[in-house]
Amino acid sequence: MGRFFEWLDRYFGIKKPHRRFLKRSIPEGVNYFFCLGGVAFTLFIFLFASGLMLAIYYVPSENDAFASIIYIHNEVRLGGFIRSFHKWSANVFIISIILHTIRVFVYKAYRHPRELNWIVGSLTLILAFASGFTGYLLPWDQKAYWATEVGTSMVKKFPLVGPYISYFLRGGADVTGATLIRFYAVHTLYLPLLMCLLLWAHFHLVKQQGVKGGL
Amino acid sequence: MPDNLSYSDRRTFLTKICHLFSFIGFFIITGIFLLFAFPKKISKKKTVYVYVCKEEDLPLQGARQYLINYSRQEKPVEHKIFIVNTGKELFALSSSCTHLGCLINWYRSENRFLCPCHGGKYDISGNVVEGPPPTALNHLPMKIEHEKVHIGIKV
Repeated sequence: MGRFFEWLDRYFGIKKPHRRFLKRSIPEGVNYFFCLGGVAFTLFIFLFASGLMLAIYYVPSENDAFASIIYIHNEVRLGGFIRSFHKWSANVFIISIILHTIRVFVYKAYRHPRELNWIVGSLTLILAFASGFTGYLLPWDQKAYWATEVGTSMVKKFPLVGPYISYFLRGGADVTGATLIRFYAVHTLYLPLLMCLLLWAHFHLVKQQGVKGGL
Repeated sequence: MPDNLSYSDRRTFLTKICHLFSFIGFFIITGIFLLFAFPKKISKKKTVYVYVCKEEDLPLQGARQYLINYSRQEKPVEHKIFIVNTGKELFALSSSCTHLGCLINWYRSENRFLCPCHGGKYDISGNVVEGPPPTALNHLPMKIEHEKVHIGIKV
């Protein structure tokens, strides 16, 4: 296997530039709390993989969405496991991002020259929340419906453009099948793509600037 | 293996362990994916014709209920169907309500099929008159050969 990768790398030449990144020396005072970002990224990969699987069976339509969820949970082999895995990974993902943010804050790693990376990270957190919100509607049960109803109603209180934002989010006056398809597309296409871009930026900046050492 | 390790430093050993775990993880995930994505039911549904009654037992006017017996997955099944003669045409109707699959009954006095679960009503041709059913009752294929009536059931 190693030989296979050696052969591939003769053409791609990936190893050399990354060796500098992976085998760089890290500063004094680093401890296990510095792993929280990595934990979050691992969970992102878990979510990505389990989401890819769920997308095979899920039907984003008003009539079939709930039935397809029941089908995944009860009929498909390992379906209940994959769905629960996706759900719990999502919860732990958000928690680990928040813990990571606290770690960065405590270690003052948001200060110059890393301010842009703080902004990128914050955007990632916002996208994670957005993923959670859009994903919550997809089971299309009462809890999902009313959570989205309440969530998209809050936007209405925004001065002047509030109602229009809510129409935009819902794809109409009420939460309907149109909202479901919209949220499905955002949850499975737009947000993961943006997330990948942001994470690339996040890691690239870490590579450029190195890890901020201990206190 | 131990001989080999004694020459390696700690970092090489850790790298090897990492590689090993990555490979194991990769194979586990691939396995889970294949199990998950592979369809559970592959066999196609076939239409099997089941004997119902003799031609002379068919209703001359109105609907009549029949119980048919056949085997599904090697287990005997009893199935209720209706055969309707409107005077103009003769056809067979499934007895499961298109709403949630309860078994409907024929009420001659009202000239309607009634579903006991949520009050769905169908007329004699199987069209929805009242209640929650989204579509008309399913028509079943019927054929009469040598004065014997057969109904097509998907197994």
